[in-house]
Amino acid sequence: MAEKLVIALPKGRILKEAMPLVRGAGILPEPAFDDSGSRLLRFSTDQAHIDLIRVRSFDVATFVAFGAAHLGICGNDVLMEFDYPELYAPLDLGIGACRLSVAEPAGMAKDDDPRRWSHVRIATKYPEVTRRHFAARGVQAECVKLNGAMELAPTLGLASRIVDLVSTGSTLKANGLEEVEIIAEVSSRLIVNRAALKTRPEEISGLIDRFRAACEARHAA
Amino acid sequence: MTDTPIRALLPAGLHDTLPPEAAHEAEILAAVSQCFAAHGYERVKPPLVEFEDTLLDGAGGATASQCFRVMDPLTQKTMAVRADMTPQVVRIAQARLGGEPRPLRLSYGGDVLRVKGSQLRPERQFMQAGLEVIGSDAAAADAEVLSVAVEALAAVGIRDISIDLSLPTLVPAILDANGVWESRQELMLALAHRDAGAARTLGGVAAPVLEALLAAAGPLERALAKLSTLAMPAHAAVERDRLARVAALLAKTAPGLILTVDPVESRGFEYYSGLAFTLFARHPGIELGRGGRYMSGGEPATGLTLDLDAVQTVAPARVRGRRVYVPLGTAASASAEARAAGWITVAGFETVTDAAAEARRLGCDHVLTGAGIAPSADQS
Repeated sequence: MAEKLVIALPKGRILKEAMPLVRGAGILPEPAFDDSGSRLLRFSTDQAHIDLIRVRSFDVATFVAFGAAHLGICGNDVLMEFDYPELYAPLDLGIGACRLSVAEPAGMAKDDDPRRWSHVRIATKYPEVTRRHFAARGVQAECVKLNGAMELAPTLGLASRIVDLVSTGSTLKANGLEEVEIIAEVSSRLIVNRAALKTRPEEISGLIDRFRAACEARHAA
Repeated sequence: MTDTPIRALLPAGLHDTLPPEAAHEAEILAAVSQCFAAHGYERVKPPLVEFEDTLLDGAGGATASQCFRVMDPLTQKTMAVRADMTPQVVRIAQARLGGEPRPLRLSYGGDVLRVKGSQLRPERQFMQAGLEVIGSDAAAADAEVLSVAVEALAAVGIRDISIDLSLPTLVPAILDANGVWESRQELMLALAHRDAGAARTLGGVAAPVLEALLAAAGPLERALAKLSTLAMPAHAAVERDRLARVAALLAKTAPGLILTVDPVESRGFEYYSGLAFTLFARHPGIELGRGGRYMSGGEPATGLTLDLDAVQTVAPARVRGRRVYVPLGTAASASAEARAAGWITVAGFETVTDAAAEARRLGCDHVLTGAGIAPSADQS
């Protein structure tokens, strides 16, 4: 008997958009999954060999990279940040669309020439992506790692700029910031552990195909 | 007193191996090496450290960022610690065993040291064992290397293995043939992530072929059927045909083996010049080793390296030998007889009143008495 397949799902915003695809792929979680009072972290499904876990988006990538979960759903922002060689991202689910952008206080760009920079200080949850992005143009990025409320950093003098996810831009605007550069377009991907795909090819490719079909059905609707 | 050294602390990625794991590791190395030797692979033992310019010459160049450097006080030249043994074996095959008849079969086993562990394996020092065939272009050589490795893994109790066959030179060959030079790096990264959407956007004229390659990945039969219909450059087609022949040979020598094909796998296989392979344990799914076709100087070569730390995590734990306590004063011949019968003898250095209790304290479940070997279990 093969061990159970574990699918890692991200908590929060993306989960709402992801669940129709998970159900569309024919995986129906036990009732506790939708019960906000439940303290469970691991859930069984109507498929005896498939379990679901619910973790933070960044942790989805880690669980799957280490083989603790076999499949997962997370944004390519997370994949870019970690660049785990053990992860494959075969399917763009077309949900959770937003962008990873550089933002700074409105009006700052007016008297600032980026060509003269040798160094910038940036508050972000994505230090790796940020460093790579600025290094590519010869600028050293000193990153202040924050886990949320990045928008506060410029006004309180923690860092002059931020790199963060932007969807509508209203949070930026409310905090007196403007989006000056898009680093990457972001959407959620179905991710797969490399060793799992290679050692259980039929099972995992079958699941990928079911998710693909669920995606196509959703876009057709 | 601010910097009292913490005596047990080791640098990250390095650790002490204790009983019984250390003995298990030694047994695994011995069993694997014996299997290699039985198939005619003769053992070589390169040094731990070499001059940087010889170690990193040619094939070794790929390990440059992973090597520790030290200065040789004698010559004032920089020396590097091996991060992989294959380049050393290649050097030996060319420089010292160049006159030996080909194909030359060599094996090796030893520790390697790396600057940085990987995400999956934080260890910076671990043991490798491997085998190389130098001077043969035959598919039979690739198949032999794989079937010997499978046999070696079976010898340490790992039977449920799957092998992923890949063609790391295929995608570059197809991109060259189609003249795809723009955003090549992004495209290779997209393929490394198996991101079909990005491959479609970045692939240009090669996009349909790349998508077909991505879709071909999976179980052997299906993959071969899809690959055989694809047009590809001549030298890439040679490796595809080699893949099919190796798979056919393996089906005979190692039936029951699960074979998969991944034609776009290339990340971490930059060193290889043709067919490459990765061995996985299936339960749990862990990579045990990898290898493939490469050029040893001007000679075609193939080989495979097993990472013994990964092998050890999957191999069933060894059965600890039966230990018998030998009280002080027991005849040496009685003790020798017990060892000859397969017992591990633990001799007492001082006279004790309760030999059975002393045996239990030292982890022996038996005591050697005048009447023979008796259980040391507490009778009360």
